[in-house]
Amino acid sequence: MTSLARRAHPFTPATVALALAATAILAPPPAGTLLVYIVTVVIAVATGGARGVALGIAVCAPFWILLLIMHGVMGDEPRTTVVLGVALSTTGLSWALEQGLRLAAIVTASLVFATSFDPHRFLQAAIARGWRFDMAFVVVATLDAADRLREQAVRLREAQRTRGLRTGRTMLSKARAIPALVFPLMLMSVMEADDRALALETRGLTLVGPRTPIDPPRDRSVDRVIRWAALLLVAAAGWWRFG
Amino acid sequence: MSPRLLALIPTAVAINLVVGQVASELALPVYLDTLGTSLVAVLDGLSGGLLVGTLGQLLSGMLRGYVWLAFTPIQWLIAALAALAAARGGFGNTSRSAAWGAACGVACGLTSAAISYFLFGGVTATGVTAVGALFRSAGFSLAAAVTTASLLTDILDKTISFILLGILLRSLPLRILGRFPLAARAVGR
Repeated sequence: MTSLARRAHPFTPATVALALAATAILAPPPAGTLLVYIVTVVIAVATGGARGVALGIAVCAPFWILLLIMHGVMGDEPRTTVVLGVALSTTGLSWALEQGLRLAAIVTASLVFATSFDPHRFLQAAIARGWRFDMAFVVVATLDAADRLREQAVRLREAQRTRGLRTGRTMLSKARAIPALVFPLMLMSVMEADDRALALETRGLTLVGPRTPIDPPRDRSVDRVIRWAALLLVAAAGWWRFG
Repeated sequence: MSPRLLALIPTAVAINLVVGQVASELALPVYLDTLGTSLVAVLDGLSGGLLVGTLGQLLSGMLRGYVWLAFTPIQWLIAALAALAAARGGFGNTSRSAAWGAACGVACGLTSAAISYFLFGGVTATGVTAVGALFRSAGFSLAAAVTTASLLTDILDKTISFILLGILLRSLPLRILGRFPLAARAVGR
């Protein structure tokens, strides 16, 4: 079954994700940032983006640990909070908590949006709105290119390994592997881009004028209401913080 | 936008994302996530580099969290310095590339230390934060630890990036290099 986020107009999840990120920055910590993180998780799960929440935790976990070490363990005096027998900096721990929650909310909102993003629906929506075609094309072509290049990088690494490349445990052997892994990938990409430029020109991609969307996504009233509500949420967070 | 730039931008942004991932998988204390930005700045000039840097940061923000959008000025700085290095023939040989890379590393390291310290309390990418934690445990203040760690990793990262870029530019076939006058000047042809 297609998730709610994927069925929505492509601009709606983008607006909600950006609004949640802005709200996480504006909301007063720690209560405000905790509330934004909870709201982000609830929205993600309700719209079928639970995978994004799990990914968010995986991405944030190293930062939470580093925040605890840099500010909790190595933070300034006074050290009044004791966790597992270790005296932690009170101000450092409080700052780590604020920053950790803010990071979690922003990263989760971004990843939930990324897991539901369909570049081709986005392109159709951008054409229907009359956006500059070259800019919309660049976004979609970049996502396609990133996937293609990632596959090429995996194939290249396997090929180089069969030719004797070792990406061993020492820093020196890893550093030596960089040119063998990176250089062919970049050279291949530049050559391909040169060929693609000719193809784009002959297909009239750089022509100016309106384009016709083939199957534009429906922009329903509920989508518009959600987008306006997201903007109101940002304003409310600003008022809570500074009002 | 010219068809050549339209074809180059997606490739360059993808290079930023994928090569950065390769460096991260090798667990090296470098990022290599600005190669695409400097490549386009050298091939097409400053405006192309700025566009790649901004778009790359937006897309990488979507995949890793919008918090890292705060580091977009670093991409702009790299684009500006790579275009300047190209105009001065800075990729003519390995030592020139390394010198320009190190200069770029100092500028980027100082800027990124300021962003990292004031906005993130010194906790950003795992590699540089681990180096910062080492300095902190050695008795450095937070500001000094963040600045030293940023400078060291950025100088190493940008020097390697510029050396790789120089090798790539000097290896390009003349038929391709001939289409990019700035790149031809960068390698002294």
